[in-house]
Amino acid sequence: MALLQIAEPGESSAPHEHRFAAGIDLGTTNSLVATVRSGEAVCLPDAEGRNLLPSVVCYAADQCQVGYPAWAHQSSDPLNSISSIKRLMGRGLKDVSRLGDVMPYEFVSSQDSPVPRIRTAGGDFSAVEISSEILKVLAQRARDSLKGDLEGVVITVPAYFDDAQRQATRDAARLAGLNLFRLMNEPTAAAVAYGLDQKADGLIAVYDLGGGTFDISILRLNRGVFEVLATGGDSALGGDDMDHALGEWIIEHCGIEKLDAGMSRQILLAARNAKEALTLSEAVEFSVDYKGQSWRTEIDRHQFDDLIRELVKKTLQACRRALHDAGLKAAEIEDVVMVGGSTRVPLVQSMVGKFFERIPMCELDPDQVVALGAAIQADILAGNKPNNDMLLLDVLPLSLGIETMGGLSEKIIDRNSAIPVARAQEFTTFKDGQTAMSIHVVQGERELVSDCRSLARFELRGFPPMVAGAARIRVTYQVDADGLMSVTAQETTSGVTADIVVKPSYGLTDTEIESMLRASMEHAREDIGLRMLKEQQVEARRVIEAVDAALAQDGATLLNETELRQIQTKRKALESAVDTASADELKNLIKAVEDVSETYVARRMNASVKQALAGKKIDEVEV
Amino acid sequence: MQSPELSQNYFELFGLNLVFEIDPAELHAQQQRLQATYHPDRHVGSSDQDRRLSVQMASWVNQAYETLRDPVKRSRYLLEIHGVSLPDDSATTSDTTFLMEQIELREAVEDCRHGDNGLQRSEAIEARLKQRADELARDFVEHFAAGRFDAAIESSRKMQFVQRIQQQLAEIQFELEDI
Repeated sequence: MALLQIAEPGESSAPHEHRFAAGIDLGTTNSLVATVRSGEAVCLPDAEGRNLLPSVVCYAADQCQVGYPAWAHQSSDPLNSISSIKRLMGRGLKDVSRLGDVMPYEFVSSQDSPVPRIRTAGGDFSAVEISSEILKVLAQRARDSLKGDLEGVVITVPAYFDDAQRQATRDAARLAGLNLFRLMNEPTAAAVAYGLDQKADGLIAVYDLGGGTFDISILRLNRGVFEVLATGGDSALGGDDMDHALGEWIIEHCGIEKLDAGMSRQILLAARNAKEALTLSEAVEFSVDYKGQSWRTEIDRHQFDDLIRELVKKTLQACRRALHDAGLKAAEIEDVVMVGGSTRVPLVQSMVGKFFERIPMCELDPDQVVALGAAIQADILAGNKPNNDMLLLDVLPLSLGIETMGGLSEKIIDRNSAIPVARAQEFTTFKDGQTAMSIHVVQGERELVSDCRSLARFELRGFPPMVAGAARIRVTYQVDADGLMSVTAQETTSGVTADIVVKPSYGLTDTEIESMLRASMEHAREDIGLRMLKEQQVEARRVIEAVDAALAQDGATLLNETELRQIQTKRKALESAVDTASADELKNLIKAVEDVSETYVARRMNASVKQALAGKKIDEVEV
Repeated sequence: MQSPELSQNYFELFGLNLVFEIDPAELHAQQQRLQATYHPDRHVGSSDQDRRLSVQMASWVNQAYETLRDPVKRSRYLLEIHGVSLPDDSATTSDTTFLMEQIELREAVEDCRHGDNGLQRSEAIEARLKQRADELARDFVEHFAAGRFDAAIESSRKMQFVQRIQQQLAEIQFELEDI
């Protein structure tokens, strides 16, 4: 029953045809979320108007902060403030030790899982869980901004990401409770953001130098169809490396000897600020302050260029490789799209321009361009643009192979093959009565399995026992549109389908994901409980205020003394319980106030109707 | 989703005549037209079954496209359709003159890595290989049309030899063009 809501007209929410969808750029350094609103892709800012969300998650014993608050803790609490987590997506312990000097965290491993976890004050967390915290914040930002739930999202990944890294990204989305329409390659998203699909045809290079990754993609456009011809790059090369190069220069130049995690962080922050300042200035003076000490120094753009020239050259080598794979020369490229904050560096722009003999496109904010493109694709996949013909055809970034005798990799699907793609292989048994076999799938271009990245071991079981060599086991490798592989197997003479047990080499197993999901749902339940209590408290205060206001207005005229006392007793009971009672108890107390006021509400309604009608003729009253 | 005839061969799927010589532009346009129908992105909101079917169909179209656009794969596939089975894809030939020429070409390609003007020398070899590939393709078409399948197999295998050397040469040219 509605207490005292006499004049409020109910807002009827008309069913919305538009389905809410968002594009998420889950970046190494920063992340963004964008959506298409009134036909235009826009980034969604936080309450303070900031588009970027630093990809930093800070864990404390009882809470987890994401973005700027976490970022602010980086210097003071480096071991619990996790940044650049994207570098660890789909990565194993060996990779972690290689990144050890870049990442100061304490890693823990367990025998049950190949996935390394970072020890924090809040517990041990995998890269997938940490990334899902970032996704949750971005998705909530989108929901708040759109005032509705998300039908689905498109999340971008570097084109260079292998299967394990893509799988990890997909798992993070699942853990964040998001419906993932599609993983989209970052460079393709950038080309879409520039509206290059409006052109009739052309060859496009997308040069994407972010904080932690470099990607080059060669795209062909033909009447709205984007076709990735070749991709290349380096999943561990980016603006962070420029900061490190400059950081090392600072250490050497200033003669800094004693380094701890906090100091390193301070130097890197100073290096990054200096790098950014050198985008516009020819020289910059700066200082590093730490624990009462201070070092001052100066660097000009020339010196900085010398520090990073090799890095930029490395990116151009990857560009050559991609062009070669696409069967093209640099001069045949018509448009060069620049993506990623590091493309603001003047040396990058000039060297890329010289290489392609074109002035590169950098009109759109290079930090936003990927998220904007993802939003456009999400909008199309949500079905909001039924007449849009845009179609993105992707290729497999790295060859898939299986381990054969002698530790060699036999290629099953070559890199740059158009996806989705399927290949079948036939095996036979080599022992009488053999009912199981194991297939080790690797990804990479090298001959030796040990030089490739192990994806998973598939154990096929349950073939009918036959004499050696009689069984015909057809194994089908299927790569979907996101570049993710699955395996099915069948013994063709009997038609028996094998049971397959997947043991991912770097990823989380389905069981692990499920237990994480369950844990997060339990958290969510606690959160829901808390939110319900808050809501009831707000409601209780609103009811008390409304009763007080009504009684002050007409309590004396409409109620006798007994009625008045009854209402006030219930009101007092509610007021004294508001901060201590549970949500359910509050709900009952609120109902008690409402029930006892029922007659009073009816009388007020009549009185207000009478008042409204007073002095009006009957035919002026519309029913 | 409308399910196509899975019994179609790749040429039928792409609406092409059952001949070796095809127009690459037409092939490419057909591939895009087919993907516009079957690609999983066109079936995001459909039932699980439809989406699975769409992944399979799009894979099939891609596989057909890869086969048809590569001359060696296309020639082998044409023979397969005509019931001519090629035992395995390890190319062998008993034509000693051809083999001698291949060995000589292979050495010339390797030589481009050393000495001066490697890039210019590689370009001369590139032109020679292209000419050889064209000749072999014409041979294949002739033998195939006349129903001389054994000779057609021989041409297809020689095409494969030449293609491998072309790939090797491209790799070396890439290294030579270092910036």
